[in-house]
Amino acid sequence: MSGAVMAEPASEAPQEETFEEARPGGRVQAVVAGALPVAIGAFAAWLAFGLRIGSLTDPGPGLWPLIVAGLLVACGVGITVVAATAKAHAPNGTEAFTRGTTAVLCAAGALAVYASLFEVVGFEAPTLLLLFAWLRFLGRESWPSSAVIAVVATAAAYALFILGLGVPLPHLIAL
Amino acid sequence: MDFSSVLSGFAVAFEPQNLLFCLIGVTVGMLIGVLPGLGPAATIAILLPITYSLEPTAAVIMLAGIFYGAQYGGTITSVLLRMPGEASTVVTALDGHALARRGEAGPALGVAAIASFIGGTASILLLTFIAPALAGVALAFGPAEYTVLALIGIFLVGTLGSGSLWKSAAAAALGLLIATVGLDPLLGTPRFTFGTDQLADGIDFTIVAMGLFGVGEILYNLEHRDRPQPRVPAFGRAIPGRMHWLRSRMAILRGSVTGFVLGILPGGGATMSSLVSYAVEKRVAKDPSRFGKGAIEGVAGPESANNAAATSSFIPLLTLGIPANATMAVLFGALMLQGITPGPGLMNDHPDVFWGVVNSMYVGNLLLLALSIPLIGVFVRMLKVRPGVLAPLTVVITMLGVYSIRNNAFDMLLVVGLGLLGYGMRKLGFEPGPFVLAFVLGSLLEASFRRSMRLFGGDVTEFVQRPVSGVLVAVLVLTVVVVPLLRGVRARQSAAAARVTAE
Repeated sequence: MSGAVMAEPASEAPQEETFEEARPGGRVQAVVAGALPVAIGAFAAWLAFGLRIGSLTDPGPGLWPLIVAGLLVACGVGITVVAATAKAHAPNGTEAFTRGTTAVLCAAGALAVYASLFEVVGFEAPTLLLLFAWLRFLGRESWPSSAVIAVVATAAAYALFILGLGVPLPHLIAL
Repeated sequence: MDFSSVLSGFAVAFEPQNLLFCLIGVTVGMLIGVLPGLGPAATIAILLPITYSLEPTAAVIMLAGIFYGAQYGGTITSVLLRMPGEASTVVTALDGHALARRGEAGPALGVAAIASFIGGTASILLLTFIAPALAGVALAFGPAEYTVLALIGIFLVGTLGSGSLWKSAAAAALGLLIATVGLDPLLGTPRFTFGTDQLADGIDFTIVAMGLFGVGEILYNLEHRDRPQPRVPAFGRAIPGRMHWLRSRMAILRGSVTGFVLGILPGGGATMSSLVSYAVEKRVAKDPSRFGKGAIEGVAGPESANNAAATSSFIPLLTLGIPANATMAVLFGALMLQGITPGPGLMNDHPDVFWGVVNSMYVGNLLLLALSIPLIGVFVRMLKVRPGVLAPLTVVITMLGVYSIRNNAFDMLLVVGLGLLGYGMRKLGFEPGPFVLAFVLGSLLEASFRRSMRLFGGDVTEFVQRPVSGVLVAVLVLTVVVVPLLRGVRARQSAAAARVTAE
């Protein structure tokens, strides 16, 4: 799927200064990748005990989650052991976090704000703002083109979802 | 087999509305195949809410078209730019791009399109004969058989994916765990709802797919957003010469068979079969040293294989109700959204949907063959659209689509959360594929497991003692042996691909 892009030789396409290739992550990150499943699995197992476990003959609601949580913990332990015993610079399947990670977190934050504003003030203003901010700051488009694309796309979304598909999106402008 | 329903399926496929949606589907598919970034699973997930208002047959015809259309599209950028739009066309880049550098891009693309068409069409024909037989067998399956079947599906998808086995298994386990959120399927006890009514119905599959594939991929691509713009070489007329055709025809035949067989296996699918086909072609070639330097068989074989596999991977979904790969998992969700349960009953309960969709694939492949060559120039120009513009537009469509499912803003927050989860998983080396597949099969697996346990009085060994489920357990054990072999083949091919493309 995505991420399958192979590096073009530098002679064919001049690289921009800001371009960063994905780098493999370090051992700490690889160990964290194992510790997280253990933590999630343990938490889920603890919650599953709060439900009724029952027995194999008469399974309660907690039995299946407990089995699955156990599996998750076991896999997490496996990942941790492999990561901790691997050679220092061996590839471990992880990708180091880069400066771009901040952009990802900002984008996710913006989407969360967008979702919360949506039902309060209608979809038009938040959509316009989200598009503009994303185009200008994450996409590094120019001010005028960001503004034009944001307005046109918001209008198109209005036409497609509200007029075309009849979705009852909360909206201020009635047509 | 009931031929009248096969024939009436053609009538369904040729209805003007369905032809139109087939055309839309394959065009969108080709487009996203060309663009690196969004894959077919993500695109189908994002479009799910829009298909909600369509008639079921039209909706599935369009979504299926996106899937196999993407296989055609991915080839174009592989050959011209050595920049595979899809994972299943990575191996095509080896010899395809070498041909393009020699000035034979046109013939390479022509052979690829014809090979894709033959592979896809042959696979539909085989599907027409095999699917009814398989569905007939599956009608007799009980909870024990479904438990083992779902386990085989999850196991294969987990192990055939790239990356570590432990991580695939962990991703699958997390998917199973998230699937338990909501009411207990048999007793109705709320589980993991943290006291909120919003989670009482569980997490909708559409939301998981849109979050993990849609928002997750957009966030992931955002991190490396300043990709250098590629330069496109001239490609001339996309008509293969006599020599190209003579060299490729056997490769196409072998590729079609390889693709069909591997496509049926859960987790096999298009990527796997293209790699295996390349390995086969290299082995049977009189002069294997030509490979990597512009052997047309290295384009023809994998391209017929990935399209044959894309088609045959519909078989487990449509006859057993077990999706064979991530895209099929999303299509599973699309069918459920339309109130149609994929499984052995599908062929009898909804023959118009089943045969309409299957037969529409002939139309779709024909359209792709006719469209892909004249439209190459247009698609390559699409690559010039900056990802910085595409991403926010996709994100808005996704968010509004999510809201439209239940008119609920909480779902949008869930999608953002799952998108972050998908991003984090990618960074830490977990594949979203096994997660989504396990999530889809989670409730089936749990319900059949618990029913079997009641039936067997808690005796786990009954799974082996019953004839049909016993055979399936044997299959499960067999796969544990075969899978490492397939992984070995793929690892060698990927290493070769890395060497050649890093030259």
